[in-house]
Amino acid sequence: MSSILSIQSVTKSYGPVRALHQVSFDVPPGSVFGVLGPNGSGKTTLLGIVMDVLKANSGSYSWFGEPPSEKQRRQIGTLLETPNFYHYLSGEKNLQVAAAIKGRGQDDIPRVLQMVKLSDRKASKFNTYSLGMKQRLAIASALLGNPSVLVFDEPTNGLDPVGIAQIRELIRDLSKEGKTIILASHLLDEVEKVCTHVAILQKGQLLMAGDVNEVLTNEDFVELGTEGGSLEQLRSALASLTGVRHLKEQEGHLQLFFENGSIPLSEINRHCFQQGVVLNHLQLRKKSLESKFMELTK
Amino acid sequence: MLSLLKVEWMKVKNYRTFWILLAITVVSIPGISYMLYDIMDNSFPKSKGATMILGSPFAFPDVWQTVTWNSSLLFIIPALLIITLTTNEFTFKTHRQNVIDGWSRQQFISVKLFEIVLLSVLCTIIVLLTVLGFGYFGNKVQAGISVLQNSRFILFYFVEMMTYSMIAFLLSILIKRAGLSIGIFLIYMLVEQIAVGFLRVKLKFQGANYLPEEVADRLIPFPYAKALLARDTPQWEHLIPSLLIVAFLYLMLYGGFTARRFLKSDL
Repeated sequence: MSSILSIQSVTKSYGPVRALHQVSFDVPPGSVFGVLGPNGSGKTTLLGIVMDVLKANSGSYSWFGEPPSEKQRRQIGTLLETPNFYHYLSGEKNLQVAAAIKGRGQDDIPRVLQMVKLSDRKASKFNTYSLGMKQRLAIASALLGNPSVLVFDEPTNGLDPVGIAQIRELIRDLSKEGKTIILASHLLDEVEKVCTHVAILQKGQLLMAGDVNEVLTNEDFVELGTEGGSLEQLRSALASLTGVRHLKEQEGHLQLFFENGSIPLSEINRHCFQQGVVLNHLQLRKKSLESKFMELTK
Repeated sequence: MLSLLKVEWMKVKNYRTFWILLAITVVSIPGISYMLYDIMDNSFPKSKGATMILGSPFAFPDVWQTVTWNSSLLFIIPALLIITLTTNEFTFKTHRQNVIDGWSRQQFISVKLFEIVLLSVLCTIIVLLTVLGFGYFGNKVQAGISVLQNSRFILFYFVEMMTYSMIAFLLSILIKRAGLSIGIFLIYMLVEQIAVGFLRVKLKFQGANYLPEEVADRLIPFPYAKALLARDTPQWEHLIPSLLIVAFLYLMLYGGFTARRFLKSDL
């Protein structure tokens, strides 16, 4: 099996509004695959299509290398958009319904309730839950039966900072177990901390997809500062350093961008010293996903 | 189908509204007949002449027609149940979640249709028990009268119940909101009755017999004072096959349309 999910030229329109246009990418096994995009970029629409709740106008997709079917969806734990449960049933009874549809036994319910810390409120009706508790119940439902593939659409919606950290930790743990996780979010720092792969969407167009390290390749830069703060002197010293693409001044420091990869910090330090400049700040920085995202979507 | 029904049972067994509406449905069927029986029993003099005019609507064989007709006044109650259960899925978006969790769209719509058949069968059984109750315990069975004569009205009741239930289901799938679906269901009942009256009486247009609800309503004519109102009986007998065929075609149409809508559209 080459990929868990393969999406080929998927297009979806709502009347005159084009929600997705010719989107294609593959989700490799064992990856944490971030689907990124601002609000309205088509993330949820895309996940809705691959979970068969929305119909694409054209294009196709396959799960586990096979044409899509309900049997495959039973092997995938999914939280799509909002937690959807019967308001008059308790959290536990809602999970019983989900487990029965998935064809799983009821014996996994205590485990997943424990994982999301809802065991104490399992007998309470869903309509008495807070937004965060509803979200955690939806995550518990997705975890039922310990599926090998998980699809999370904005999983930290409505959660407090502790809850967000717990979900991030949970995603990391699940990833370590070798599970494939597809994660749609507009919270880029959240994605950056856990994802191995990303696809970036904007207005229904796929801007970029692939390994995080490939997407962010050649984006390392070095930040320098000098004693006395004479950036002009530092700038002229760096002018003679080979392999430099450009320099940028940022908050009292110079940022040094390279043509290929980066230059060892020791070499930069030696070069500056030889040019008579003593550095008091030298740091290798990776371009954040956020800045890359802003660059792509501006 | 059994596993699908098991899930549906899990959805409703702790739902108070379901039990209340089901209880009202179950109680109201014998209840309305008892009420009308009581009115008949207490409101008219028990003279031979009165009996000749009014007949014995709660005795065999007329009791089949009487109880099924009485029960047909109550279709709104099971319709409310169907609309509530169906639109709940849209309100809570659980129709999406059921599909996400591993039902096919076809399984979702099939089990809902099967529930409607089950509810119709349940109501028909209660009507049957009510008929037998009045026939055997409310009146003496007269010698020479076949108990099963006119029992075809049970089939007609089932067809009529399915017709109203499927219209309620169709509206629920199309409109997705409980209040609006119930409102349109009631308004349509009223509008069709007015249209039938206008078309048949004023314009003498017999095609009005085949409007969606009227075609099923016509299967069970008004059962009281038959001696006065029985003029149309031969014509009605003649119409039965065509009424049944058209009602069946409507049912196929409703089933096909709801299934197609759910299978093809965004959820």
